[in-house]
Amino acid sequence: MKKLIAVMLAGVMTAAMVTGCGGNNDGTPADAPAETEAPAADEAQTEEGESTDAVSEETEVASEESDMAYVKDKGTLVVGITDFEPMDYKDESGNWIGFDADMATAFAESLGVAVEFVEINWDSKIMELDGKTIDCVWNGMTLTDEVKSSMECSNAYCNNAQIVIVPADKAEQYQDIDSLSGLNFAVEGGSAGEEQVSSLGLDFTEVTAQSDALMEVAAGTSDAAVIDSLMAAAMVGEGTGYANLTYTVGLNSEEYGVGFRKGSDLAAALNEFFVSAYADGSMETIAETYGVQAAIIAQ
Amino acid sequence: MELILEQMPIVIQSLNVGFLQTLKLFFVTLLGAVPLGLIIAFGSMSRFRPLGYLTKVVVWIIRGTPLMIQLLIIYYFPGLVFGKPIWGGGEAGRFVAASVSFIFNYACYFSEIYRGGIQSVPVGQEEAGLVLGMTRSQIFFKITLLQMIKRIVPPMSNEIITLVKDTSLARIIALQEIIWAGQAFMKGSQGISGAIWPMFFTAIYYLIFSGVLTVLLGRLEKKLDYFR
Amino acid sequence: MAILEVEHICKSFEKTEVLKDISFSLEEGQVLSIIGSSGSGKTTLLRCLNFLERPDSGVIRVCGETLYDSRNPSPMQESEIRKKRLHFGLVFQSFNLFPQYTALENVMLAKELLAREQPDYKARKKEIQGEIRTLAEEFLRQMGLSDRMGSYPHQLSGGQCQRVAIARALALKPDILCFDEPTSALDPELTGEVLRVMKELADQKTTMIIVTHEMAFARDVASHVIFMDDGYILEQGTPKQVFEHSHEERTRQFLSRFTQG
Repeated sequence: MKKLIAVMLAGVMTAAMVTGCGGNNDGTPADAPAETEAPAADEAQTEEGESTDAVSEETEVASEESDMAYVKDKGTLVVGITDFEPMDYKDESGNWIGFDADMATAFAESLGVAVEFVEINWDSKIMELDGKTIDCVWNGMTLTDEVKSSMECSNAYCNNAQIVIVPADKAEQYQDIDSLSGLNFAVEGGSAGEEQVSSLGLDFTEVTAQSDALMEVAAGTSDAAVIDSLMAAAMVGEGTGYANLTYTVGLNSEEYGVGFRKGSDLAAALNEFFVSAYADGSMETIAETYGVQAAIIAQ
Repeated sequence: MELILEQMPIVIQSLNVGFLQTLKLFFVTLLGAVPLGLIIAFGSMSRFRPLGYLTKVVVWIIRGTPLMIQLLIIYYFPGLVFGKPIWGGGEAGRFVAASVSFIFNYACYFSEIYRGGIQSVPVGQEEAGLVLGMTRSQIFFKITLLQMIKRIVPPMSNEIITLVKDTSLARIIALQEIIWAGQAFMKGSQGISGAIWPMFFTAIYYLIFSGVLTVLLGRLEKKLDYFR
Repeated sequence: MAILEVEHICKSFEKTEVLKDISFSLEEGQVLSIIGSSGSGKTTLLRCLNFLERPDSGVIRVCGETLYDSRNPSPMQESEIRKKRLHFGLVFQSFNLFPQYTALENVMLAKELLAREQPDYKARKKEIQGEIRTLAEEFLRQMGLSDRMGSYPHQLSGGQCQRVAIARALALKPDILCFDEPTSALDPELTGEVLRVMKELADQKTTMIIVTHEMAFARDVASHVIFMDDGYILEQGTPKQVFEHSHEERTRQFLSRFTQG
């Protein structure tokens, strides 16, 4: 068995080398839009654009049935999340709760399948989806062009902004966008925050998580960070672990959505579910539980 | 400081869970890689040329690429390339995938240490066994093995201590080992958010565990000191 | 009847011919000394007898039983070779004791492993092990090592090590005991104790083949001497014939180096 895997591995690696390492780029969100444009245009439900042309044809079988049928067939909707208050986080007894977690549970119920939450690395979300180790990303994900081109996204359900975090004692100096030049920012690699700072031409350092970006500011290794406003509300300021940080300028306004595999019919099903949950008020109720009712978007 | 003391019980509990996962990965890797390494060592020393070359190529690939990439390939490729996510998305599946990657990777390193150990046992030992009418397997198990073990304990200790720390690489496929557990408190988990200290605190766990291992391996080395 | 008959043995490594048509025979209870300069093929000959090397051609017979015949090249099974090897014992120049075992364990090990192949081993395990132990202790006592049985090789002097190695070879009761330059790795003052036990073995009529550079020992102890040069047997006969009345100029030249020194 182990030998077999080794041989497979060797074969796969050779294939990857021959085709110019097409397969390996999947994981890098930055590369995704450019590479996925072509397959996005064609409607075929392939696994993933690059991997199909990287490896032989026989690998694209399996995906003829719809994604909905696939999920119903295995009976579980696997939801990829990160620990992100107030959207997905653990309560004291270790259960996943939060606005997104509760909505995902309700959606799975409506499909008649169980829900399973799996913590993933945010950087690997597209690889996790395409590799079918998860079925959706439902974790306060900002709908950027990049996200929309590499995943099948639901309609927006929540408003958010990218917001600047600075030490509280320096907050007064940085109340508008012009004052930010010259600061060194820490942003999560591949995040909406990174998109904002790079479009503004600011100096920035990529870190692996939004929380790492906060740590950079707290430790003084970066001057400022850009993170989601919903997260900032929960994590920064009086009474939180980062009591001496605060948020100042909002750089944009943006919206959260849920991501599925490219071409998945589950996105449409979720849109319908959003409409009915908004109409019967259950979405509102859940939002109130987590204090995000002001941010939700009418369906 | 007071805040830390307040957070301590929750954090320790969570770190313990993460550390258990670290330990599990460590021991499973050791249990798998120690014997597999021996098989690979014999493969690379095989007088059957094609097998020798094949194992050498496999060892070259595994040792020549970062463990992190191997983790990504082993976990994601079955689903990405073949459309069959054989490991599944749950924690158990990630653990199995991580174990397979680690066992393979470490077996290849171990195999080279074994090979050096076996080849450093003088050929006269084997010949003495042969003229005394022993079989090849008797010679290996009764004569060569212990002499080889004595020679490989120091380099193996080194690899084993490295393995303790390398387990943290499994984070790349979202295996929730101790550093992951520590980092969770930076984002916010179980009512604690923005706490940086738990991640740094994990170092204490590594330090204690590798300390224990160092002592145990040192004892083994001493125990084998009775012959030369 | 001769206990050992060797006929027309040839052996090459790559393109070097190391043994060229070697033939000799040995009677039971005799001591054969093989002398000659380094590289003359003496050690290779011993290794062929012990199946550590396989001759390219020739026949080896022990007690009339053909152990090796190049004309009958049926591939020999590992287990067959093992049995055939047991006709011979071999004492190495570098002792090759097993460092992780005591002197006594070194002597017992092979015998114990062989005993496991007996059908009644499991039933009589304790008894058999006791017998092996008694025998091993006896051999070590004979080698003058009764007080060093529990010592590990690294705690013993070179001379003591070589005596343990001799006991180890004797324990399997070989028909013919071979020595490959048994004293060459020893300090001169330790050579004597090893030669002494070898002399005792000769007196007890142990059949031995001794490759050696100790000319005095060969002359005094051997019943038969072979002088090898460049892979050939150049001269053989009684010590008197070879040492005092050698036919060949090459033999006299070789011997003169030792007698002068």
